[in-house]
Amino acid sequence: MTSIGTGYDLSNSVFSPDGRNFQVEYAMKAVENGGTSIGIKCKDGIVLAVEKIINSKLLVPGKNKRIQTIDKHIGVVYSGLLPDGRHFVNRGRDEAQTFKSFYKTPISVPHLMDRLGIYVQNYTCYNSVRPFGVVSIVGGIDDDGPHLYMIEPSGACWGYTGAATGKGRQTAKSELEKLDYETITVKEAVKTAAKIIHQAHEDNKDKDYELEISWISLEETKGRHEFIPEDLLAEARKFAEEEDEEDEEEEEDDEEMES
Amino acid sequence: MFRNNYDNDSVTYSPTGRLFQVEYALEAIKQGSAAVGLVSKSHVVLAALKRNAEELGSYQKKIIKIDDHMGVALAGLAPDARVLSNFLRKQAMSSKMIYNRPLSTSKAVLSIADKAQENTQSYGSRPYGVGLLIAGYDETGAHLYEFQPSGSVLEYYGAAIGARSQAGRTYLERNLDTILETDSVEELIVHGLNALRDTLSQDVELTFKNTSVSVVGKDSDFKIYDDEEVQQWLDKLDSVSNARNRAGDDDADDNNENQETTEETTTTTEAATTEEASNDDNANEATDAPAEDRMETDE
Repeated sequence: MTSIGTGYDLSNSVFSPDGRNFQVEYAMKAVENGGTSIGIKCKDGIVLAVEKIINSKLLVPGKNKRIQTIDKHIGVVYSGLLPDGRHFVNRGRDEAQTFKSFYKTPISVPHLMDRLGIYVQNYTCYNSVRPFGVVSIVGGIDDDGPHLYMIEPSGACWGYTGAATGKGRQTAKSELEKLDYETITVKEAVKTAAKIIHQAHEDNKDKDYELEISWISLEETKGRHEFIPEDLLAEARKFAEEEDEEDEEEEEDDEEMES
Repeated sequence: MFRNNYDNDSVTYSPTGRLFQVEYALEAIKQGSAAVGLVSKSHVVLAALKRNAEELGSYQKKIIKIDDHMGVALAGLAPDARVLSNFLRKQAMSSKMIYNRPLSTSKAVLSIADKAQENTQSYGSRPYGVGLLIAGYDETGAHLYEFQPSGSVLEYYGAAIGARSQAGRTYLERNLDTILETDSVEELIVHGLNALRDTLSQDVELTFKNTSVSVVGKDSDFKIYDDEEVQQWLDKLDSVSNARNRAGDDDADDNNENQETTEETTTTTEAATTEEASNDDNANEATDAPAEDRMETDE
């Protein structure tokens, strides 16, 4: 790493001679080892999913939720330093509530992302703070339909149809690129999301994971952000595992053919 | 002399994305004596080992009551724990005052976690140097959370923090199924004390002076058992010293002691050694990583 030893990477808000802010780049590094999170923007709504690595069997299954709600119609999932993620969500909730009490109407997703982008960006400007150690994927439905955004430690905030972050993001991204976002429905996307998380987990197979999926759709949830029902989650996970086995079998067959 | 430049404050990331000041704060927990916690369907038990600075000194309090339905056990810097528990008490009181209902355990834990997170993202303050086990019983049942200075909170069936706590966690993992099944508070306490006993160092025993136990659960308010009151629970243990040390005693005094116990103790000794080995690995890892940074600094 050329950045080290130059002294330009020791403090936030300092530019290096070639115009980089190293502390922001290092913050991205914190994200790159976290559990994979994905978001899918469908024809009729949003699906969010996350891979939760199980570090101890003493952890209570089904608790320690990673997907959170910012407002009734907006959900968020993040990878990286989890306490920073909670800070981000708390700020999002504050923004949403302030907006609602002021304008008497729920905040639109693009406007919320604008405000959150500014907030996160601020944490790159001063040497008295550090950038957020999370990449967050925010999805929601408003009057203009479904929206999906991803926001980085730099404050950069882009709209996506399929977004992925965390350790398995490369695998997840290449899978997301195969989807047809014009036609896919949330119901189909739930299964796809489970499959993608399962595939992204391949790189980290020595540890078990727990799957968490939420959705927002006018039909399924009346525009509210909710966790998918238990039975659907179990079905999705089963689907993902079966697909995986089939793939493996195919691979084995191929190998046999080759030999 | 080489120096790790990235560990001076909690607002500087290392090139690998780590926050060393926060990681060092986690180390502070391991300097404290052990505390364990475990849940059944209806109850939460905390057990902790108290230390005294000198022979004639009193023992440092390890379990703090927050409200009738909630309490915490601590490991690490006790003054930091007092700040956090005072904050929790305030939260609990205002919940009662404003909403006329007891504070939920998850809300309580998140409130101090968010407080701790702030200290990891701004210059001028240090992360808290204490780990907490929060036990609570509310309308959603019995809960046990582990709080860390990084601002992370996780809900556990059983947890152990502090010096040599890995041995306690191993005990809890091995007995998880029986712990979750049990309806008896007594059995839960005995498991808690057994786990605590496994964290003891050589030549230390559980006594009514150095052991603290607390219970909270269905139809029972948070209650701390200290001093004479804790003796009743210690009496229920098969032994008050660590299995590792007992193995030595068996060899010396009583070779005819039934074979099974000896075998059992040997396996535990082995397990303990591997744990220590793995702990060492971790320690190496921790020192290695900054070394990497330093090496690259040289280039």
